[in-house]
Amino acid sequence: MSPSQQPSSHNPTCLIKNRFAHRFVRALNNLNIKNRSPHDENQIYRRSHRVKIAAYAAMASVVGSKRAWSRAVLWKVRNRSRNQGLLVSSRRKRVDCKSKTSNDHHAKVSVVRRRNPNPKREDLDPFRYSGQELKLRKLVPGAATMDSCCLMDETADYIKCLAAQVEVMKTLVDFYTTT
Amino acid sequence: MSSRRSRSRQPRVSRISDDQIAGLVSKLQQLIPHNIHTTHSDKVSASRVLQETCNYIRSLHREVDDLSERLSELLQSTDTNSAEADIIRSLFM
Repeated sequence: MSPSQQPSSHNPTCLIKNRFAHRFVRALNNLNIKNRSPHDENQIYRRSHRVKIAAYAAMASVVGSKRAWSRAVLWKVRNRSRNQGLLVSSRRKRVDCKSKTSNDHHAKVSVVRRRNPNPKREDLDPFRYSGQELKLRKLVPGAATMDSCCLMDETADYIKCLAAQVEVMKTLVDFYTTT
Repeated sequence: MSSRRSRSRQPRVSRISDDQIAGLVSKLQQLIPHNIHTTHSDKVSASRVLQETCNYIRSLHREVDDLSERLSELLQSTDTNSAEADIIRSLFM
């Protein structure tokens, strides 16, 4: 491998794949899966769910805030981790203190729901939000309120990044299967 | 009073030109896998392209689910931790 030749830097998709691979592997290390062995199906599901969230979050952070879909994904992930932090702390407190008033339970268990910065506006223009376009808006994150032009643009970028993400994950799976 | 028919109603925002949408739709068409459009490659309607795009995105989501499941199982049993950077360098450069 000659250091002067770097074909990956010419192709933007390769650059994205590279950066995504770095962040994803780092996130996987942080997940610390190796030390825990799952006892039941629920834990197995949760483990794979965490890997999936790490993958989407890593890809969104590579793209950054340039795209509406990546902003929406990052917002969802951060909101989810905030809510989970609240729920976990409430569960711990419930276990530690046996006698607690029910008011405390309700106050802690209720999840803080931040207002979604992208509210749906179907009532304003039903023509736009019908048919195939509506299905597309549901699939692409953060696409509920864009106009059709931006929606196509975001969809194209989202598809490119998703395909790159899938390729990197496949490579990783093949790599870990063979070693 | 005009009857509320959604198709004939004037949109409140400025109308996006059909050419623009056609251009974007063709851009999308190039991104989705081509094995479906073998026959009418020129005259695929916009709704068909959108439909194919939705299907493609759904299939990509399913693949991500499946791959993350397999990855989580594989990571459980492997020991490699230190040589991550070298792994990535050898895979992607």
